[in-house]
Amino acid sequence: MIQHLIKLIWNRKGSHLLLIIEIWASFMVLFGVMSLVTFNLDNYRESLGFEYEQVWAIDLSRNQDTVQTAEKLAQVLQRIKAYPEVEKVSQMSSNSPFSFSQMNSSISRKKTSTLSDIYYTDENFEDVFDIKMKSGRWYQSSDSVAKNKPVVINQKTADALFGTENPIGKTLDDNKVVVGVIDNFKAKGEFTKNEPAFFQLMWPRSEEGKIVLKLKSGTDANFEAKLVKDLGSMLVGWTVEVSYLTDQRQNQHNLALVPMIVFTIIAGFLLLNVAMGLFGILKVNIAKRREEIGVRRAMGATETDIQKQFVAEMWVIATFAILVGLLFAVQFPTLKVFDLASGVYWVAIVLAILIIYGLVTICAFYPSRQAAKIQPAIVLHES
Amino acid sequence: MITLNNIEKVYQTSTIETLALNNINIDIKKGEFVSIMGPSGCGKSTLLNIMGLLDEPTKGDILIDQKHVEQYTDKALASLRNQKIGFIFQSFHLINDLSVLDNVEIPLLYRNSSAQFRREAAREALEKVGLSNRMKHFPNQLSGGQKQRVAIARAIVGKPDIILADEPTGNLDSAMGNEILNILLQLNAEGCTIVMVTHDESMAKKTHRLIRLFDGTQVY
Ligand SMILES: Nc1ncnc2c1ncn2[C@@H]1O[C@H](COP(=O)(O)OP(=O)(O)OP(=O)(O)O)[C@@H](O)[C@H]1O
Ligand SMILES: [Mg+2]
Repeated sequence: MIQHLIKLIWNRKGSHLLLIIEIWASFMVLFGVMSLVTFNLDNYRESLGFEYEQVWAIDLSRNQDTVQTAEKLAQVLQRIKAYPEVEKVSQMSSNSPFSFSQMNSSISRKKTSTLSDIYYTDENFEDVFDIKMKSGRWYQSSDSVAKNKPVVINQKTADALFGTENPIGKTLDDNKVVVGVIDNFKAKGEFTKNEPAFFQLMWPRSEEGKIVLKLKSGTDANFEAKLVKDLGSMLVGWTVEVSYLTDQRQNQHNLALVPMIVFTIIAGFLLLNVAMGLFGILKVNIAKRREEIGVRRAMGATETDIQKQFVAEMWVIATFAILVGLLFAVQFPTLKVFDLASGVYWVAIVLAILIIYGLVTICAFYPSRQAAKIQPAIVLHES
Repeated sequence: MITLNNIEKVYQTSTIETLALNNINIDIKKGEFVSIMGPSGCGKSTLLNIMGLLDEPTKGDILIDQKHVEQYTDKALASLRNQKIGFIFQSFHLINDLSVLDNVEIPLLYRNSSAQFRREAAREALEKVGLSNRMKHFPNQLSGGQKQRVAIARAIVGKPDIILADEPTGNLDSAMGNEILNILLQLNAEGCTIVMVTHDESMAKKTHRLIRLFDGTQVY
């Protein structure tokens, strides 16, 4: 039967061309959207690697103040530590988690190197973000006197530079020594990829950058106001800006989610259009083929046979379109376009195929049902 | 083979009610060649469609091989049409987008038969109507007589017990019409039961029996 339908469709290919193009276009759009969705969800499933609830980041800039800035900063850190609301404090470079600032550099060892995000932090960073060590330890302030500067890397960096070797105690090309390895570190939020990261002791303490602090639960905006006021009086002429990491995380999420939602909506409208088009074309098609339906019924086709035929024809047409689409789509995983894991593309291809078949089945179902109900005696009488 | 008892057919449209058939009693015996004649609109096609289980009577019984079919499901009726009955129509009703061979195969698609078997059977049927040299053609590349021969091949490909032909020569000139009649006579001689609607007295004379309809009723 399928052979018969393929022949029938092939002989009518002219009139099906538009339909094939429409389905092909829908497939390509779906493939794109599904790649994006799969990529984001795939990332989302990977843990962040740190805790951010009740963590605030204070952005300090000293502006024109040049007088004893280091001392002022030390006092500020002491003051913050002294608040009963504050659990942990740490100072770090401006690229605090979920911020829109980023620093990266190539880290190399022997002949391998990897582009890695670089974070300068003090010894308390681990505590503020409740980071679990995978092996080794976080660096201490006492490490500042060591000849080889201590660094902590994440597993991604370890994999790139050390492969299966244990990185603890090994030195990198610039004589830094790895003292600890942590698991994931997805500083730009759940929807981003887990990229290589590299942490280094900030020494001497910079006068710029950020202070990150973990608060006791239940701390609210009243304390924020108090904090800003106190720091303002200590740091005359400086700019002090407090952000909640939960808010910043939301901003990062929006950055990932908004395009996904927008594309999904656009694709949804497109598919709705195509679906209505398919529905219409099928109805016209069936109206034109009443005679054929009558003949087939007279020759022994049941109502179900007729209905199946029209649904199956749509599947054949959809299959033509998908095959053409696959020619394009398989280039993405094989050429690793956009540097995404090929698995993302394969999943997207499967999802797009399923959605296309689902869509044409839904669109074909009702008109085919109507075709099956056509009375053979009447249509054979018409012509 | 086909028995009709007290068949009545009423077409109901929103404005009018047409009594297309009234109190029809017909018994078609195995091996017969029966012709049906009557003026236009007297209900010949309606009668043939009811015999062929394409249409349901408003009243009356239909028996195929002594079995009542009124309660049959769509599936059972389709299977009877497929196995027992071959249709030939005045306007051929071939599917233009399929080759002659593919058209002839159609009844076999609704049975469990292999592609190989379908091919063979369709070739054989086309040979029988003298069209083996046109198998790859498409219907619109054929003359009217050739089209009707394709339709006959399609009707006989499934080796039905009975052929129902509704004015099979109505759209053909007399030479072609006679050619078609000869094929039908030949099929009948080979044992196929045939019921044919015709407007041509001379053709009707060549059949075993004539049923005349007038205004939906049997005249004799
Ligand atoms: N689907 C229908 N709906 C309403 N009336 C119909 C329908 N089909 C047939 N009729 C009516 O039933 C009557 C019998 O029609 P039928 O087609 O059986 O005549 P016929 O004898 O085959 O005529 P012809 O020689 O012109 O083919 C006619 O009056 C026709 O108008
Ligand atoms: Mg008629």
